[in-house]
Amino acid sequence: MHPLERLINLTALLLNTARPLTFDEIRERIEAYRHGDPASAKRMFERDKDVLRDAGVPVDLAATDVWEVEKGYRIDPSAYYLPDLAFTQDETWALFVAAHAPGEDPEAERAFQKLSVGADPNLLTAMADRSPTPGIDASGPNLGAIADALARRRSVRFRYRPVQGRAGWRRVDPYALLFRRGTWYLVGQDVERKDVRSYRLSRMRSEIQEVGEASTPPEGFEAAAHLEAGAWNPERAAHRARVAFTGKVAWWVVATTPGAVQVGERPGGWVEVEVPAAEAEAFASWALSFGPDARVLGPKALRDEVVARLEALAAGGQPARASG
Amino acid sequence: MAPTRTKDARPRTGRRGRHRTATTASDRLRRLLVVVPYVVRHPGTSLADLARLFGVDEGELVQDLNMLFLSGLPPYGPGDLIDVEVDEGRVWIGMADYFSRPVRLTHQEALSLYLRGKSLLGAPGLAEAPALASALARIEQRLGPEALGALAGRVEVGTTGQAAEALAMLRRAVEDHRTVRIDYYGASRDEMTTREIDPEQLFSAIGNWYVVAWDHRSDDERMFRADRIRAAELTDATFEPRGLAGAGRPLYTRSEGDVGVRLLLGPGARWVAEYYVTESPSERGGGAIEVTLPTKDLAWVVKLVLRLGGEATVLAPPELAARVREAAAEMLRAYRPRART
Repeated sequence: MHPLERLINLTALLLNTARPLTFDEIRERIEAYRHGDPASAKRMFERDKDVLRDAGVPVDLAATDVWEVEKGYRIDPSAYYLPDLAFTQDETWALFVAAHAPGEDPEAERAFQKLSVGADPNLLTAMADRSPTPGIDASGPNLGAIADALARRRSVRFRYRPVQGRAGWRRVDPYALLFRRGTWYLVGQDVERKDVRSYRLSRMRSEIQEVGEASTPPEGFEAAAHLEAGAWNPERAAHRARVAFTGKVAWWVVATTPGAVQVGERPGGWVEVEVPAAEAEAFASWALSFGPDARVLGPKALRDEVVARLEALAAGGQPARASG
Repeated sequence: MAPTRTKDARPRTGRRGRHRTATTASDRLRRLLVVVPYVVRHPGTSLADLARLFGVDEGELVQDLNMLFLSGLPPYGPGDLIDVEVDEGRVWIGMADYFSRPVRLTHQEALSLYLRGKSLLGAPGLAEAPALASALARIEQRLGPEALGALAGRVEVGTTGQAAEALAMLRRAVEDHRTVRIDYYGASRDEMTTREIDPEQLFSAIGNWYVVAWDHRSDDERMFRADRIRAAELTDATFEPRGLAGAGRPLYTRSEGDVGVRLLLGPGARWVAEYYVTESPSERGGGAIEVTLPTKDLAWVVKLVLRLGGEATVLAPPELAARVREAAAEMLRAYRPRART
C-alpha cells in the first residue's frame, strides 16, 4: 500500500470513529499495519501520526472508555475542520495578493488555498491567471522565529548590536512585533535590564534561541510607546515650517510628506510649502537633504539652525569627531 | 535612491507555468486534504483549473486522485471507498463528505500568511489595504488562539508617507505587460527624465515601493522608486517579460565604475550603515562606525552628508569633501544674499 493511501485511510478512520481506537484496533482495520512484525508496524504508525500532525491534522490520545483503562487515538472533528470564514470577494483577493506576492512562501500559499475552498471558483480561476504584482521584502530570517516565539509565549535569546555600544546577548520576553517604515521591531521585556525595550530585527546578530516561558505584557500595554525614537516624525509635529522648494522636488515633497501643503509660488519656479516640523535638529536634517533645492523661510529658529549647520559645513568643519 | 543596474537577470517562468512538485507522501497528503474539499464543494472542476489553482502538474494530480480512489474509510465495506471520477478532464469526488471541509491551518501556515499580510499593510498606498485589514481581523477573531497563539493583536503596523499615485497604474502595467511612459526624478543624479519602461516587478522594501523594469532609454535593467515617478501613462505597447528579479533582490548592485565613499558615522548617523548598502564596517570609539558606501554618482552623497551635518565625516574621496563644502557655501549665499564667503 502506498504511504499516501495509508495516510488518507488513517485520517478517514480516526476522523470518523465514535471513540478513540487503540493501535490494535487500528491494525485490524488498516491492512498496511498488519505487515511485518508488530514492533516495526508500530514504528510506522508512530511516523504516520507525526506526518499527520505536521500536516495540521490534530491526532489526540484519549481514554477509550470511562474507566480509562486503555488509551486510543482519534481526530476530534471540531478541532479538524477549518471554520468557514466567509470572506468577501475583495477580502479573498487581498489575501491572495498577500499569499502570492513575490518572495514566495509555500506556507502562506497553502493557508490561502485552505481559506478559499468555499470561494467562487470563477473568482479563483480568474485570480490564478493574474500575476499578483506587489512583492514584499520581509526583513531578515528572524521574523518567523520571533513571531513563533511570541505566538507560543516563549522567552528568546539573541545577540544584538545596538546603535551605540557593543554587541551583546539579550534575553527578551516578546510582547509585540511592530512594523514601521519598512522595518520590523520586537518590543519586549529585557529580562536582565528589567525594562521594556525595542529591538530592530535587522540589528540582530544571531539566530533566535528559545529559553523557557515568557512573561505576559502588563494590562494596557502599548507597544508603540516603547519604540526607539525615529529620526524625524512628522506625525507628532507640533509646529509648521515654511520652506521654498525648486519645482524639481516640490511636487515630491507635497505628494509624499504627510501634512505638507503647497501655499504659494515664487519667482524662478520656486514653490512655497508648509510642512509639519518636530524638533529643530531633525527638521534641519530633513531640509538639508534637499541640498540647494530647499530653502527654509521660517520660523526663524529653524532657519537659524539650518544656517548654523551650513556654516559649519562650509568651513569644512565637522566639529565633533575630527579626522584631520 | 538610484535607478540601479543589475547583471543577474535570470529568466524565470511566469506564475502560470510554475508548479511545485510534492515529492514526499507528507506533501502530497497536505495537498490532497485541500484539493479534495475543493472538488467536493465544486463538483466537475476541470483538471486544468485544479492544476492552476493548486500549482500542481496535471499528471501528478491524476496520480494523487488515483491513489484516493483506493482509499476510504476502513474496513472498506461496500460504499466505504472514496468515489473518484475523472471524465473528459473533469473531476468528481463522492463518498467523502468527511473531507468536504479542509483541515485547519497549521501554525506555520497561519503565521506566514498573517505576517505577509501585515507587512503588506505596512506598505503605503496599497488599494487592497482595507479588505486585507478586515480579512486579517477575521482570521484573528475566528482562528486566533489556536492558529496564531498569543500573536493575534500583537503585530502592529503603521503606515507612513502617502500613496505613490503611480502605484495603481504600475501594478496594472506589470500584470498586463504594458509599456509605461514616466517622468522620473532620479535623486542620485538629481535630474528629471522622461523615459519608457517595461515594468516587470513591483515590491515594497524599507518603506518604499520599487519598480524593476527594462528601461528603453538606457536599454538596460533599472530599478525605480515609485514615489519619485511624477507622472506615468500607459502606452499601447506591450512587452515580453525578461524575467527580472523582484522582491528580495539587493537594492543596490555594485558595478565596476563605482566610487568607494569612505564615511565616519557618529551615533546619530549610524542608520546610514543599515539603510544603504555599505561595506567594510569598522567600529570606532564613542559609538562611531566607519563604512564604505559604493556609489555611481556623488550628487546624492553630497546631499546625504549635508543632511547628516556634524554626525558624518567624509574620509574619501577628497573630491566629495570639497563638493560638500562648495554646496554648503553656495546654499549659505542663498540664505544671506549680501554676505561674502
